[in-house]
Amino acid sequence: MLRDAVLVAGKDLRIEIRSRVGLNQIGPFAIAVLLLFGLALGPDRQVLAPASAGLFWVAVLLSTVLAVQRSYAVESADAARDGLRLSGLDPAGIFLGKASAVAAQLLVLEAVLAVGVALLYGARLSGALVLIAACVVGTLGLAAVGTLYGVVASGARVRETLLPLLFLPVVAPVLLAATKAWDEALSGTPGRAGGWLDVLVVFAALYVAIGIAAFGPLLEDA
Amino acid sequence: MSTPRTVPPRRAAVMLRALGVTAIVGVAATVWLGLFVTPPDEFMGNLVRLLYVHPPMAWVAFLAYGIASLASLLYLWPRTRAEHFDRLAGASGEVGVVFTGLTLVSGSIWGRPTWGAWWVWDPLLTTTALLFVLYLGYLALRRVPGEFHVRARRSAIGALIAFVDVPIVYFSVEWWRSLHQAPTVLNPTTHKTYVHGSMAWTLLLGFVSFTLVYIWMTAHRYRLAKLQDLEDAEGLEAAIAERRAEAVAG
Amino acid sequence: MNGYVEAGYVVVLGTLSTYGVTLVARERAARRRLGAAPNAVPSQVPAESQELTARGDVSLVKRRDSGETERGTDS
Repeated sequence: MLRDAVLVAGKDLRIEIRSRVGLNQIGPFAIAVLLLFGLALGPDRQVLAPASAGLFWVAVLLSTVLAVQRSYAVESADAARDGLRLSGLDPAGIFLGKASAVAAQLLVLEAVLAVGVALLYGARLSGALVLIAACVVGTLGLAAVGTLYGVVASGARVRETLLPLLFLPVVAPVLLAATKAWDEALSGTPGRAGGWLDVLVVFAALYVAIGIAAFGPLLEDA
Repeated sequence: MSTPRTVPPRRAAVMLRALGVTAIVGVAATVWLGLFVTPPDEFMGNLVRLLYVHPPMAWVAFLAYGIASLASLLYLWPRTRAEHFDRLAGASGEVGVVFTGLTLVSGSIWGRPTWGAWWVWDPLLTTTALLFVLYLGYLALRRVPGEFHVRARRSAIGALIAFVDVPIVYFSVEWWRSLHQAPTVLNPTTHKTYVHGSMAWTLLLGFVSFTLVYIWMTAHRYRLAKLQDLEDAEGLEAAIAERRAEAVAG
Repeated sequence: MNGYVEAGYVVVLGTLSTYGVTLVARERAARRRLGAAPNAVPSQVPAESQELTARGDVSLVKRRDSGETERGTDS
């Protein structure tokens, strides 16, 4: 299973490096979101800085939708999806591979967004350990749910509006917990983020497990 | 694959009709008691009358969700896999979304004069709002085209992905809220009020009546689903042949 | 104050009644399309079509295929 995961992750990441869609499109999208939030909430840093954590994570969530859609779009060329199904790769491995690739891209994006938030909203990036931990674990959960829903929501006869509708409500706890963890870190009390990080860990563990179990049947049916 | 129901068609229709009548009577009684017979509350005045309706809506919303999830689980489990579980999940889902919407609306209507706002980020209300959107996503997923068992399995997995999310949402939101002081004297996170005498009975009647309404609606939605499946899968000729066979059998 | 109470009851009862009525109406319409008698509930997959499926009747399989592509338009 792990060997297949590495295979698939490598393939997806290689495609990304070659096509640079994440760099050229998803990245700018995320930055645009940050800018739009800035416009919407006013130039007053007194308003923006405290909201940095939440705005950061909303931007991440929206970018995850795009990243997942992109992850499955690369399969639909030349009936690659059927190839994936028939390749004899362990479906759980495919799941872990795709989710890992999405997570990796998101982590890079988050680094950029963190700088953006510090720059645009005047957030002081303290408690770096907590910030990074929340990013890693939160992103894992996001990637797991996204990859899971992505396989059903990206078929030929499915409208592309289905994925956000399915994905966003389910990951609401990630948004909540990650934002709270970041809030604690940014306001100088990273010690209090422990409980929220636990929520993120539980969420990620749960949905990675569900993904491993359920991806096979979903892939077959897609 | 679908196990034949043991209740003969005509008897089932009669039972369903009786259930519907009972439900309507129960609701009517609840409304009459709630609006006219019971006294106004010490603190809330007449607003307490909305509490004969709003909590039952919430109860049914979560009940419907639970049943849809259970049915989905039973469909996925190979030993208990049967078409009727998928239909039950879909039926309960559609009825559930109606009750969830009504929970939010009735809660909002109660909240406006009570807390001064149409919406508060109360853990229960917030979880219900998220539940509403989860339901809508589930119903959208059910509409993705495909062969019956493909759709059923996919929907069942979707239901379970959402189902395990609800407790996580609830506890996260509750913790989130507990970090902030409850701003008013009347704690908005408490739906408790001292309920006694006729008020308690009316509330109980409300819960029971609306549960009956849910059962009646789900049963009809289930039958509708079955009819639609028959239409799709068997084609018109087979259905006519079945009706001919039924007429012969009496 | 009382306006809220009335509004609440009207909305809840109105919505439930409307939904209940549409359910019954949709069911009647579906029955009419199938040509079945109003109160008959089809309680099991007809033995005839089960048999046909088992025999791999080609025409029935063809019909099911064309029926599938319509499935996405469920109301």
